[in-house]
This record gives sequence, structure tokens and C-alpha cells, in this order.
Amino acid sequence: MSLDPIALQVLLGALRAACEEMGAALVRSAHSANIKERRDCSTALFDAQARMVMQAEHIPVHLGAMPAAVAAVLGERHAPARSWILNDPFAGGTHLPDITVITPVFEGAELLGFAASRAHHADVGGRVPGSMPADSRTLAEEGVVIAPRVLDEAAIAELSARMRQPEQRRADLRAQLAANRTGERRLLEIAQRIGTGALRGALDEVLAYAERRTRACIAALADGTREARDVLEAAGGDVELRVAATVSGEELTLDFSGSAPQHEGNLNCPLAVTRSACLFALRVLTDPDIPPSAGAERPLRVIAPEGSLLNARPGAAVAAGNVETSSRVADLVLAAFGRALGQGTMNNLTLGTDEWTYYETLGGGQGACPDADGPSGVHVAMSNTLNTPVEAVELEFPLRVARYELRRGSGGAGAHRGGDGVVRELEALEPMRFSLLTERRRHAPPGAAGGEPGAPGRNLLDGQELEPKASGELRPGQRLRLETPGGGGHGAAG
Amino acid sequence: MLLGVDVGGTFTDAVLVAPGGRVHTAKAPTTTADQSAGVLSAVEAVLRSAGAEARDVRAFAHGMTVATNALLEGRTARTVLVATEGFTDVVELGRQARRELYRLCAAHPAPLVPPELRVPAPERTTPDGPLRALDQPGAARVAGAVAALAPEAVAVCLLHSYRHPAHERMLGAALRERLGAGVHVSLSHEVVGTFREYERAATTEVDAALSPLLARYLRRLIDRTHEAGLPEPAIMQSSGGLASAADATAHSALTVLSGPAGGAAAAALIAAHCGEPDLLCFDMGGTSCDVCVVEGGRVRETAQREVGGRPLALPMVDIHTVGAGGGSIAWRDAGGALRVGPRSAGADPGPACYGRDGTEPTVTDAHVVLGHLDPARPLAGVRLGAAAAERAVGALAGELGLEPRACAQGIVRVANAEMVRALRVMTVERGVDPRGFALLAFGGAGGLHAAAIAEELGIRRILVPRAAGVLSALGLAAAERRRDSVRGVLLRGAQITAEALRPRAGEAAYDVRYRGQAFELTVRGVPPDPGAVRAAFEAAHEERYGYADPEAEIELVAVRETVRERGADVALRAAGDEAPRIAGPAVVALPEATLLVPEGWSGGPDETGTIVLERAA
Repeated sequence: MSLDPIALQVLLGALRAACEEMGAALVRSAHSANIKERRDCSTALFDAQARMVMQAEHIPVHLGAMPAAVAAVLGERHAPARSWILNDPFAGGTHLPDITVITPVFEGAELLGFAASRAHHADVGGRVPGSMPADSRTLAEEGVVIAPRVLDEAAIAELSARMRQPEQRRADLRAQLAANRTGERRLLEIAQRIGTGALRGALDEVLAYAERRTRACIAALADGTREARDVLEAAGGDVELRVAATVSGEELTLDFSGSAPQHEGNLNCPLAVTRSACLFALRVLTDPDIPPSAGAERPLRVIAPEGSLLNARPGAAVAAGNVETSSRVADLVLAAFGRALGQGTMNNLTLGTDEWTYYETLGGGQGACPDADGPSGVHVAMSNTLNTPVEAVELEFPLRVARYELRRGSGGAGAHRGGDGVVRELEALEPMRFSLLTERRRHAPPGAAGGEPGAPGRNLLDGQELEPKASGELRPGQRLRLETPGGGGHGAAG
Repeated sequence: MLLGVDVGGTFTDAVLVAPGGRVHTAKAPTTTADQSAGVLSAVEAVLRSAGAEARDVRAFAHGMTVATNALLEGRTARTVLVATEGFTDVVELGRQARRELYRLCAAHPAPLVPPELRVPAPERTTPDGPLRALDQPGAARVAGAVAALAPEAVAVCLLHSYRHPAHERMLGAALRERLGAGVHVSLSHEVVGTFREYERAATTEVDAALSPLLARYLRRLIDRTHEAGLPEPAIMQSSGGLASAADATAHSALTVLSGPAGGAAAAALIAAHCGEPDLLCFDMGGTSCDVCVVEGGRVRETAQREVGGRPLALPMVDIHTVGAGGGSIAWRDAGGALRVGPRSAGADPGPACYGRDGTEPTVTDAHVVLGHLDPARPLAGVRLGAAAAERAVGALAGELGLEPRACAQGIVRVANAEMVRALRVMTVERGVDPRGFALLAFGGAGGLHAAAIAEELGIRRILVPRAAGVLSALGLAAAERRRDSVRGVLLRGAQITAEALRPRAGEAAYDVRYRGQAFELTVRGVPPDPGAVRAAFEAAHEERYGYADPEAEIELVAVRETVRERGADVALRAAGDEAPRIAGPAVVALPEATLLVPEGWSGGPDETGTIVLERAA
């Protein structure tokens, strides 16, 4: 061990503080509500070999996908203060609204590492405002695709000109650069404190530490292969996904061979998103206290055949892959390890006219754990964003909330109960369009170890049931009611 | 003479300030079952040490943890919630975020009001007024349903009551008539007064559920003080200002952070007396460390925070607490790293060196091993056992493959890293550079860590008051009286007139945002003039978010009014027995605390008795 246990803990604290400070700089100086209020962003530091040494944890879906972004620019020629930008899901990105900015950190002529920030931008161009179309069939329809390139003033001007609200885009990109500069400064300070030479060894130890802790957790799981299968409720019919999860000593392999091929819609995932969901599940199954770094990923292998829904080929539409498919991937892994599942959807609802747009996601039931009931009315996996207060909705939009309550009894029974979903009913006060992107309407979230499944969700327009993916018009007085799924129970009810 | 009494987790501290400014201090063990017994013991002790009598006491200020502890331990009254029909789960639904990202079944605290105690009100109000009117018979039927549940307290929270309170008032009257004066009723528009139903309802539930308990405590305390011939105590509120016992009883949610707020009041006192308007403060006791910031002589405030996982939408001093104190336990984790806390040995069994069956090494034990704490000098009445400390630290050192002394140093360094992180949250993460501040260290353990923390943050100046060990009690004695109220308004553009901004009493602060934003900034210290409010908002927005938008329409969300009454003059004076000059390395014994001065730091007491240390360039 090249670091004593104290120096290790102090270095981990310094790296964590640096990443959190980067995140604070980004949130503080961004313009768009999505970054500064919902905090849909992440920041991280990498070593000179593009290995992630620490990340500030904001949004789980960003967790495992940042390393691919830095790896995508590792082979470029780097120089001090020359930053890089990308969002191409097939070259380091996830879906187009997530833009990553990467800044190399130099001490003199020596590359010490990289500072990186990722933020969900409110718009990146494309066919519809918000760049999250419900029915896209190609990546090009979803917005501006940025292959890795140098980010200078000319690039900022050129790229933002092709997006909506270009002023806001420019400000948000500058905020990402400011965050990276903060990370650069802090990494340099750490290097100066312990010595540039010593830093390399120290970062090796940071990774080895996370790896040791992850291995210890995996070793505690029984050896062998577990399988699980599940479906996504695509517009044209169900699409099947499978996993074979193999524990061998201190290592875990997640093999998604046999999952559906990529499809015509936008439920496709680039491999980085699939990996991200796998890492989320690994963190749930091991110890969430393990510092998030490349070391924690070393004992994990992910196999997803190219051309499948979970490793789509360049050009495929991916907007919903990041929000809905990622939840199902995490579900598959948790199910393989005998966990009861949560609602497995974010219940995306968009309402609006040409003048205004209102978007919300709804919580539901969490799956029960072996030792506890599942919480009710929460986001369960790759998202953790807040609801909009009833009073805020009614003050801002031509909408009335007719009901917002827990959907009692929707959680699956069991020795430990699944959490309950929610009922939220909105009444239109003027004509508007609606669009629903939901899952777990046809198939219930399963329980485990004899626990009952949760109730599947329902979407109702004036009492008439709608499909999981639906859009249309609302007249004044019409009511849209969402009943979100309950979580599965764990253990037979006694 | 002015009397301040602060109840901590382990000890109750009393401070008596004589007219000339001389400060007398005393400690008594905290009596958990009924804090008022410990309060009176501490008062007797301080009067004895000052040679004074109860009738010499002109004013008595009290900070307590009765409400906090009851909330954290779930000892709350049987409370019924009355809410708009269709929205009775408002508190349980919360903001739909799960408590922890990866511990999927980590639960939010159980609702204070379980489902079977939630009663729907047949009414609905929109932002524009009543949509479904509540009538007297309807209100009476609700009161009947509530009475059938035999509550000790009732919380009422109806949609849009911050703007249209008539229905809540009607229900309040019906409930009081039906239930009598023995059952406490809290109306949400009186407790919070702003929009966002979850936060308002949750705060109202806390207010109702704590009131019976707090009222009983204050009644006992007042009886005891009358018996002892003392003046009636004023109670510290979470806002950092004192309220009469009657006002504190009426709204118990206002005193949830009464204890830590005393520390914040002390920080403001030191800032005024030492001529240091900008201070970073950390108050390190046995189980935790409270951090706050004084800017321009005032303690930074917040309009909302969580206590025990429950939101309180009320003005409070902005305090960040981390679980790093003298009793925090050091351990080795599965990856082989040395960790400190959040588990604490508390007062019982306490650190290993207390010799009361504690075997796990704590921060205090590390200081004993390092020679920072002298076993010959009892710590708040407890004799320290050096051998027990060495055994405990030695065992952990063995696990980690370290020398015991290196392990002890490591425990202190890791604890420091926790506190540095807390101080960074309060400064760097809010866009404030800590290097422009002096560090104020207090609490029993603050002085042991001050210099190391200052070095880590690049701070060159440290203040340690003579009364560091009982500073919160001193802050109470000198605190101002204060009453806050909030009016939810939600006005836009030209609707924001000078008349709308005019405070009805005291000084006003304004919650302002750009139209379309979801969060407000509070603008303080500006005249009630629309142009001035806009300019101050834009400056604050620029500072916080890095930009302002002169084109955008602004919205006034709420007017916050504060009536202040200056606190007593406490003339701090040196006791005259301090060392005139201190140069590190040194260990300085203060009355109830210890100050560690490393090499490179030097200084001495100023005229207030506060030790001011500076780092050599």
C-alpha cells in the first residue's frame, strides 16, 4: 500500500470536496432551471489515464457514463486550457441533451489528469423543443450531434446557434468550463501538497481502495449464475430484455445476450447508458458508501451484443433509452439477485401549447427489501427529481390538480410490503396537448421470494384507459389521471 | 445581572454577567427526563460561584433542546391533520425524492400524523378564491370527526390558504369550540404563510405535535423559576432571537433549533465585541459540530431547512451540523481506511478515558494520547484515564498497522477533515471565500482543532473566547428579542408597489424571483421601494448565480417582517489572569476548554478576554 490509512482518507476527502465544489460552481453559474434548480448535472475528476478517481453524486444515470466521455478524448493532443466538448451517444455521450465538457489538468508540461462536467441542457435543437421527442426514429431528429471537438469561443457560438435559447446554451457551457477550472485548481493544489510524483501513486491507491471494498462485497455473494428477463412496453408491442448475472469469487459479469435487437423507436441505449444502469445496481447490491471511482467498476464486466437494444449502433434514436430503458436494465440486475422491483418508470407527462410547456415525472412504489418495506410515492431508480407542488402548478399554468394522494394497496403484499404508487389527476382549464411516456402499464413490477407483485400503473382520460405511450388533445374540463405502479413485495405474507 | 442557561446533550451551562461585565460560569449535568431540574441546578451553581442571589437577576434567557429531542425521538402528541379533500396525504407524499440514492428502502421519517388520523375538509380554494365553499355546518362536521379521534393537537392545512385563509379560520373556530382550550390547534397560514403545500403542512404538523409537550415543559420551568425567585425566562427561537415563554408556547415550531441558535447568538456577540464582522464559527461539543457564518456582524439566516428529515419552512439561523465531536468513535472500514464518526460514545459510556466501560477510541482519547488533554485536569468534572485512552487507541492502531501515536494523530486529522468539509459547505459551495474570514472556535473541543482547520482553509486569524466552553449560554444572556411573520403575496411587475412592500411593523425582507423560476432569493436591508428591491434582487442573483436578467419580469412571493428589540449590553472584559502572550507550540487551559496552539501561531488575549491568534506569514 503506497498510502497510509490516514493519508488515504484525507485524500479521498480532498477529492470529494473538489468534485462537490465543481458541482457548486456549475449549479451557481448555469442559467437554465434544469441545472440550477433540478441539479441534473454531475462533475468528476480523472487521472492522466482517463480513470475516474472521484465523482460528485447528483444523478445516478450519470454515474457510470462519464468515463466513456473522457476515454473518447484521451488519445487527442492535449494542451493546457484546451477543453473538449461532446454529446454523441456513440462517442462518449448518453443522449443528446447531456453535454460533457472535459478539461485537461497540467502542471508545467505534465498531464496530471482531467476535470469533467456533464449537464442536461434544456434544448439541443432537433425537431421538438426540449429535444426529448416521444416518437423519434433517428438520432438526427433528436438534436445537434457533437462528436468530440475542441471547445473554444468559436465552437460555443457555432453550436449554440443551432439550438433553441442560444443565450442560455452559451451561459450553461461557460458554467461547465468554470466548473472544470475549479476542478483543475483543486487537483493542482492536491498535487502541490503531496508532490506531483506522489500523486500518481496516491490516485492508484484511491482506485485500489474502492476496488478492494467492492470485491469484498461481491465475494460475500454466492458464486453462480442467476438469470432474469423482463420487457419494455414499446408502442408496437413488448420488447424483451435478458440478463445472466454471474458471480465468480470477487467478480461479477452481467451478460445481456439474447436481449431484443435495437428497434425503430427511441428506447435504444448506447453501451455507456447500459453500463451506467449496471453500476447503479452494483452500488445498490454492494456498499453505497464506497467512493465512486473507476476502481469500483473493475470487478464488473458488462456484455451487450452490438446491435441490440442495449448496445445500439450509431445513428439509432436514444431519447427514451436514458430515462426508461435504463430503469429496466437496473431492474433486471436487481431481479437476478432476488430483489423485488419498484415502479420501474418515471411516468413522464408533458402538457402544453405553443405558448407554454409543463413537464413532470411522478414517483411510485419502491420494491420491498429483504429487511424493510418499500417506500411509497418516490422515484425508484435512475432519477431522483422533485415533484411540482400543487399550489405552484395552479399559480403558473392553466391547470387544476383534482387529486394527489397515495394509491393505497397498490404495493405488493409480502413479509415486507412493496411501496404504494400515487394517484395524480390534472384538469385542463384551456385547450392543450398532452404526451405520456410511461412503462409498467401492461406488466406489474414483480415481487420476490414469495412476495406479491405491485399493481401495474394506469393512465386514464376522463375514465377511459390510455396506452403506456399516448398523446392527444385535452379540452377544458377534461381530466387526465395517472395511477403509478406499486412496488413488489418481498417474502411470503404471513 | 443577566443570566443565560443553555441545555446541551451532556451538560447544562449557566452564565451570569455582572453589571461591570464580569462573567461567571457553571455547569451541571443535563437532566434528560425534565431539563428544568438541570437548569435550576446550573443556576444555583452559578449564583453560588458569583456570590449572588436570585433577586439580583434582572433578565433570564434560556436555550433548550426539548422540542428538538422530542422531534428526533418521535415523542410527539397524538395529532390530527385536517386537509383539503383529495390532498390528505400531502405530508406523506413529500417531494417524491427518495431519502438515499442507493439504499432503496431507506425511509423518510414516519409521518407525524398516520393515515387514520387524517381528516378531509369538504372545500377547495384556487389561487383566485373559493371554488367549493366551506359552510358552518360543514366545519362543524369536520370538528366532530376530529373530536371522535381524541387528539391532543390538531394541524389544519388547506390548499392556497396562504392567500385565502378564511376556510382555515372557520375550521379553527369550529375546532376550538368543539375541543376546548385543552387541545392545541395550529393553522398553516399562521405558522408559515407562504405557498408550497408540503412544506407548509409539514411545518404545521410539527408545530401542533410539539406544542403540548413544550407547553408542559415551560409551565414546569416557570413554576420552578417563580419558586426560586427568578424572573420568567425568555426562550431562544431558531431565528436567533428571544421570545416570551407565552409566544414560544403558542408556536413550538419556532423553537426547534433553540439550542444551536444560542451558539449563533454568541457568535454575533463576539463579532460585535471583537470588531470582527466576518466570522466562520464552529461549535464543537461531545457528539457534533455546529457550523455557522457571521457576515457583516449578522448571523446568516435561512428560510427553510430540515430537522430530523422534516422540513421547517421558518426563519432560522443557517447552521450546518456534522457528526464530529469529542465523543466520535474512530474505526477501520472494510477497505482499510481510518474513519471517525458518525457514531459517538456520547456521555454514556463516553470516551474510553472517562473510565465508564467505553472501550472504543474517540477523538478525546486521541487528544489524551497526544498529550493535548492533561489527565490531571478533570474534563467537566470527569477525571481522564490516560491508560484507558492508550489501550483503546492502541487496539485500533494494531488493526491499521500503525504506531499508537500516529494513529492518534490520524484520528484528529480525519475528524478535522470532516469539519473542514462542513465549513466548505457553508462557504466555498455558496460562493464565499473562507480566507477573508476569521475563525471563531468554541464549545468544549473547538480550541483543540481550530488551528489545524484554519490552516486547511487558508485562514490566518483565530478567535477563541475566554468563555469558549459555555459561550452559547453567554450568547443567550446578550441576545435580542425578536418576532417574525411572513405574508405570502405573489405579485408581478407593476403590482409590486411601495404600498405592497411597506412593512406593517419592524423591518422587512422580500422573497423575490424571476417569473418562471421555482426558487426565491430573500432580499434584506432595502427600503420598501420597487426600484430598490429590484436592484438588490438583481445584485443578489448576480452573486448567487453569476448573472442577472434586467429584461425579465420579477415576482414578489412573500414579505418577511421582523420586529427586533436590542439585547442587553454585555461588556466583555478580560479576567486579568490570562497569559499576556502565547506562542506555539503550546497548550492553553481555558476555564471550560483547551486551546491547542501549533508552531507558527501566536497572539494573546484582547481586552474582551478573547484569545486572538495569528499565523506567521
